[in-house]
Amino acid sequence: MAYEFVRRADDMVMCRLDPQEKAIIAQVAQEVSDLIRADLGMGEEPEAVREAAGSDDPLARLEAEFAVDSPREPRDSAVRRLFPAASEEDPALAEEFRRLGQGDLASGKLSALGVVQRSIDRVGPTAAEIVLDEEAATAWLTGLNDMRLVLADRLSLREDEDLDTLRMLQQIAEDAGIDGDDLERAAGGTPEGADASGGDDGPTAAGPDLVLAVYDLLTWLQESLVRVVAR
Amino acid sequence: MQGFTQRPARGGVRVSTTGEGRRLDTGTALLEGPVQDGPWSAVVWNDPVNLMSYVVHVLRTLFGYSHPTAHRLMLQVHEEGRATVSRGSREEMESDVQRLHAWGLRATIERIEEDS
Repeated sequence: MAYEFVRRADDMVMCRLDPQEKAIIAQVAQEVSDLIRADLGMGEEPEAVREAAGSDDPLARLEAEFAVDSPREPRDSAVRRLFPAASEEDPALAEEFRRLGQGDLASGKLSALGVVQRSIDRVGPTAAEIVLDEEAATAWLTGLNDMRLVLADRLSLREDEDLDTLRMLQQIAEDAGIDGDDLERAAGGTPEGADASGGDDGPTAAGPDLVLAVYDLLTWLQESLVRVVAR
Repeated sequence: MQGFTQRPARGGVRVSTTGEGRRLDTGTALLEGPVQDGPWSAVVWNDPVNLMSYVVHVLRTLFGYSHPTAHRLMLQVHEEGRATVSRGSREEMESDVQRLHAWGLRATIERIEEDS
């Protein structure tokens, strides 16, 4: 079981994680990075743009450059939450904000998630102690937050009360000896027999109980990290 | 906003004695909110995921607010659904909202109405 983050005598921030927890955190960080890249179309250029970029015509090259620089609006609901509209009332302002800042915002988020993964990878599979300097601790804080935002979207947490409701349902199901997936099927969430195909559930195909458990682990870690860093 | 997690948090609220940053709160403004005037504002919106302690930390880190000011703004977000956390020129607010988004807070830029 994970231990809280603590401040060491040398001012580094440290926490102890078991192998399973390390694997889960690294995997969620990777999946969130992949989701951001895929949804924002990062690292992929349309064929026409690539051709134009190699063109002899300076105007075509300029247009190609501009096309690559224009970030696209997020489609996935979780990615929309990570890259929210800067204005609800003024679409032009929101669009300009996105055009100018979304690329940098995405790089910052991917870089923080990368720090999380590397600090786990670096300690190897057997060691338990994750040691972070101030910069890495900040990356963990924002990285854990973004990971939680994505999981919360998959858990359909929209209002402050939703988490309590979800826990209550889970408790009722537990008491009654039903597992969460049965409950979801009973509620019409997933049609019988559709499980093998994975349906359109995406990451929650792992089962809401597991997603909630991971969400709780990340929440608890983040809470303990804030307490150590905010002093 | 999310308060506490299943495994209970230990330790109480820490009140800092360190100084304020660039958007200084003085006098009565401590009760009213950020004082720096400007035609634009940065607004933070409530969401069920961000931890209360985290939001306080972000507001302190980004704007240099004292713990009581950051805590009051966090509670305003939590209870009223939104709070203006900074004011200034459009460029300044775009930069503030960009930084708030980098920390995962839901934030928007608004033009301040004359009569508010």
